[in-house]
Formats: sequence, C-alpha cells, structure tokens
Amino acid sequence: MFEAETKRLHELVKAVLPELDGIVGWEQGFDALHATPVFVSREEDVHRLMWSPLCVHNLSGYLVKTPPFLPREEGRKVGICVKGCDSRSLVALEQEKFISREKLYIFGLPCEGTVDWRRVMKKIPLRGVSAVRREGTDLKVEDARGVHSLPWEESLARRCLRCAHPNPLVSDVLVRDPVEPRMKKEDVYGLVGELEQQSLEERLAFWSAQLDRCIRCYACRNACPLCVCQDRCIVETRDPKWLTQKMGTSEKFMFHMIHSVHLAGRCTECGECERVCPMEIPVTLMKEKLNQVTRELLDYEAGIDPEAVPPLLTFNPDEHQM
Amino acid sequence: MLRPGRVKNSDVSEDESMSGKAFIPQDKLAQALERLKEKIPVWVPVSQGADLWGVEFKPFMPGMEPVMDRQSTALPKEVIFPQVQTLMTFQYVKDPENPAQVELKLEEARGAEEVLVFGARPCDVRGFFTFDRVFMDGPFVDNYYKERREKTLFAVLVCEEGDDACFCSSVGSGPADKAGSDLWITPVEGGYVVEGLSERGEPYVQLLGEPPSEEQVAAALKIQEEASRRKVGDLDPSGAVQGQKDRFEDREFWKSMVNQCLSCGVCTYVCPTCYCFNITDEMRHSHGERMRSWDSCMFAGYTHEASGHNPRPTKRERYRNRVGHKFSYFPEKYDGMIACCGCGRCIRSCPVSIDIRKVVENLKEKADARA
Repeated sequence: MFEAETKRLHELVKAVLPELDGIVGWEQGFDALHATPVFVSREEDVHRLMWSPLCVHNLSGYLVKTPPFLPREEGRKVGICVKGCDSRSLVALEQEKFISREKLYIFGLPCEGTVDWRRVMKKIPLRGVSAVRREGTDLKVEDARGVHSLPWEESLARRCLRCAHPNPLVSDVLVRDPVEPRMKKEDVYGLVGELEQQSLEERLAFWSAQLDRCIRCYACRNACPLCVCQDRCIVETRDPKWLTQKMGTSEKFMFHMIHSVHLAGRCTECGECERVCPMEIPVTLMKEKLNQVTRELLDYEAGIDPEAVPPLLTFNPDEHQM
Repeated sequence: MLRPGRVKNSDVSEDESMSGKAFIPQDKLAQALERLKEKIPVWVPVSQGADLWGVEFKPFMPGMEPVMDRQSTALPKEVIFPQVQTLMTFQYVKDPENPAQVELKLEEARGAEEVLVFGARPCDVRGFFTFDRVFMDGPFVDNYYKERREKTLFAVLVCEEGDDACFCSSVGSGPADKAGSDLWITPVEGGYVVEGLSERGEPYVQLLGEPPSEEQVAAALKIQEEASRRKVGDLDPSGAVQGQKDRFEDREFWKSMVNQCLSCGVCTYVCPTCYCFNITDEMRHSHGERMRSWDSCMFAGYTHEASGHNPRPTKRERYRNRVGHKFSYFPEKYDGMIACCGCGRCIRSCPVSIDIRKVVENLKEKADARA
C-alpha cells in the first residue's frame, strides 16, 4: 500500500542522509496492520522506512524525551517524518524552545487519515493479517481467511475524522501532494458540543464510566510530545503528594485533569494520548474542551505559528475577552 | 523445561469418573452464569461499551453479556493480584488523659472469598505459575497472594482466537493447555461444552446446563484435539539465558531494540506474569492504610534509590531488565521456567508495537555466534 509514496520517501531520504545524524520514521510492525517507529542512520536500512495510513505514531516526542533524538554535533541535523498533526507538535515544541528548527530536516507527509486497528478488529476479527491496502473508498485487509473489506471512513481514528490540518505546517520537503482538509477548523469540536448538551449528571456518568477503565499505565502521558516534565511528573512525586496509589475514579480523574490542564493552550490535538490508551478512553476529548475554551477566550490555536507565543506563557492586557 | 507451579487445589485429573459435562447454549450463557453466581461469585470477560474492542474481567452481574470471542485486554490477574490491595489499616489514637501518649492500632486486611473466573484463556492461568514460584514456593510465603490464589477457580476456554501477536506454544503452553484449570469450556456450534477438570470445579458443571448430546461431545473433542495440535507462535527462546548475559552491556543492541519505547507501563500492566509491586502508606489525618500496588519496571521511578541513584537510568536498561527477567534470570533461578505465557498482550497493546519476540530472537543470535 502506498508503494509510490514509500519509494519517493526512500529517494528523498537517501539524497540527504549523509548530512543527517539519522532519521526517525516508520517501518512495518509485527503484522501488516501495525507499523512501528524506526531510527535509521545507514543507507542500507533506508528500505525499512515506509509510509501508509498505518504510520499512526507522532514521532516528535522522540526529539525531547529522554534520551532525546538530536544531532550529535553543532551544525548537523536529524531527520523526522511528520504528518499534518505531528507537524503542529513540532511547532509547539519550537515555540517553547524545546527544539530548534535548524537542527531538523522535516519530511512532510500530507495525510488522508490513519487507521485505528481496534476499530478494524471490532468490525472484522482478523487472524494472520498479511496485507492492508486502500482501494477507493474501502480498506482491504488480507488475513488467513481471505480478503475483507471495510469502508475507509469506518477504519479511521477519531482524531482523523475531525482533522483540519492534514498537511504539514512545517517541512523541508513534501513526500506527496497536499490533500484537502476533511474539516474546517471551526467545526472540529463537534463531540465536545454533543457532550455539553447532556446534563451534568449524565456527563459525570459518562466520564466515570470512561475513567473507571483507566489502569494508570501513563501511556497517554508518555506518548504526549508536549508532556515535557517526563520523569518529574507531579503524579509520581511523593512530597508534595498529589495522588495516592488507589484505583478510585477520583484519583484517575485527578490525573487526567492534571494532564489536560498542563496542556491547556498547548495541546495540538494530535490524539496520541487517545490512540495509545490500551483501554480506549477518549482522553483527547478533555484537551479538546480546553482548546475550545482557549480559542473562544484567547483566539488561539496551538501549534500553528512558530512565531506566536502560547497565551498561557505570556501576559497580554489587550487580549480580547480578558 | 517448563514446570507448572504447585497448586494443589487445581491439579488436573484425568480420572474419567470426574468428567461430568454440560452444554450451555450461546443464548443461555448469561442465565447459566446467573445460576452459577448463586453459588459462587463469578468474574467474566465483558466489554464496557458497544464501540470498544477491548474486554475486561469484571464481577458478573445479571444483565452482563460475556464476550468470549477474543482475548481480554485487561487481565484476570486482577482477581488474585489486584492492582491495589490494602495490606493493613492503621490508626494513631491519642490517650485523652495524656495526649502525649499515642497508641498505634493496626489491623491486618486479610480474608478472601472463593471466586470463579469464567472464560479465562490458557495463557491467563499460566501466568499464575510464575507468581506461584515467587509468592508461594520459596522460604517466604506471601499469604495475601496465597489465600486468593487458593480460593480462585478457573473455567478456561479452549482458545481458538489467536492472532499474530500470540506465541503461547513457544513458551511451553498452547491453545488447549488445561494446566491450572478447574473447568474446561469448549466452544462448539451453538454454545459451549463445559467439563470438570478438578474436584473443586466438578460440582459447578451441572449448574451450568443440561448434559451435552453425543454429537456435541464429539464436536468438543474434535476442537480440543485440533487445538492441542495447533502450534501458536514460532519463537525459540532457548538461547535467551546466555544471550542476555552476552548482550547485557551491548548498549547499541538495546538502543536498536527499544529506542522507540515510550517508557509507559502498558506492557507490564497487561502482562499475566508481571508481579512487581510497590508498597505505600496512604494516610489522612491520624489514620490510613498500607497498600500494595502494581509497579512497572518501565517507569523511571522503578529502582530509583533513596540516594538519588538509579541503576537503570533510561528505558534501555529498564527494557533490558524486562526481557532478562522473563527469559533469562527467571529460568535460571527457577529450573528453566520462562516467566512469559506467550499471550502477546505486550505486543498488541504496546503504543509503538515493540515485539518482545524480536528482542529475544536477536538476543539468541549472539549466543548462537558464541557456539
């Protein structure tokens, strides 16, 4: 699937690889339905890189999380593959001075949506997946029992169904032609709006049921490229102690609130927190609400303009609605 | 090479006199479980939402529909080794006559009820064999674990739904492994044939349904035979004990294997054999509780010493420990027993699809090269 784009990616990478201290991209994972991030620095490994709607991971976190993937020497660069959503994380990290643009060579991948393997499995229980491809408006999956078909839209992750920025906002080279955004940025908070139609009691019941499933594995936090406190997370400090080890919904709610509030006005809605959740909790939804508020109050959308200052990192008496 | 743990109460008996059988029609499963629940609390695999793929084990309540057609995401490990468990409660009580005199009252939080886990898979049960060696077999017996372990019965499904992440046959188990099971559930056309495997499981069989027809018994036997012939996974873990030693200081190897790791706890929290725990005192005012909670060797705080030093400072050393523990240190200490049941959950649930099989295979390459 997407052989032409993958081939183009290989050519583009080979052309600049000597100037890079490695590149992070994606390769085939344990079956055809899963990709996995890969770090490539030798030309003979370039063939491992791939592009497809299974390249679900936002790789920008690797630039900042310990041990960071950075050039070994001044003046050098590392390469990184980004989709539209991932590129917004790069912008946000640059704004906050966690990364410098000149240290990066960005391979931009305009994206028509990524596949949520759990949604696919829910529709078609698969065994021995050998190939996955898109044919027009369908996703075709080959497994031990034959070829299965699923409407493309029904295979996509929730984050992709509300995507307003499919094309990388920053890049050195585009691997494929830009695509039409699925949504206007004004329309992306539909689910937040739907939830808010409900009564407080209904919303409490909704979140209690969702968060009851949380196993506190902190995958959402660790996958978040903007969760930059890393090993110093407030959730695990013992003094002061904000959270106990208990498993009650209130403890879990507190953790997710801390995560969300720390991301207010910073979250670029890449949806990684939700994608990585093994328990399928829609945790990005909390950040969507805060971003909606940020937009209404402060007229700001995170991860768009590298020159802008995130509103909660500054004080501006002229802010409208202040 | 693998040696199951010693669980006296669920020794599998081949005695034909104990082979009472029942047939549960698919649409009567919930009713059968309601009857069962009258006699013993039952945990079942259920989905918490219509659009969710994942399945969890929860105490059965009328109205629940068990999901039997896929492996659960969250584990029945929770039944015996809860994610948090109160070990004791404590209270400081002041003497009103002499407020300087404070008495500490301790109360041990013990006591477990008999429960039955319905619809676990062979890998779920095999996970406890790892626990048994550590918590019950050594000079120190963990009574919190032991009492729950001994009071938990398992009704285990002959597994038909393996996927590409499964590799139970590679670590000494298999889709028809009945070690550690008290009841055996075989999915057949239109329902399930259940049979007793242990003395304790036997009495529950008749509660679950009418005796099966001869055709159903034959169909079940066929499925069991097919499942026992099926090889799930092709990992050969035999070189890992030495490979881990050879690769221990090979920084480039660990970097190349796990550079994409996010250091989250998913693999350990969905693992049937991961048993590391933390102990904390959760206190409020003058009273509190001492709790045991799951720890994860993937977390930065794992083995973080009070001095500030951590012998496993990055994800590379931490992942090295995870692989070494399961495939090298544990078999070395416990007569070759691998601390992995091949359920594949760590592969399937990993946010970045790290494949532990690949790491183990690569460990071996170096061991092979030595030979």
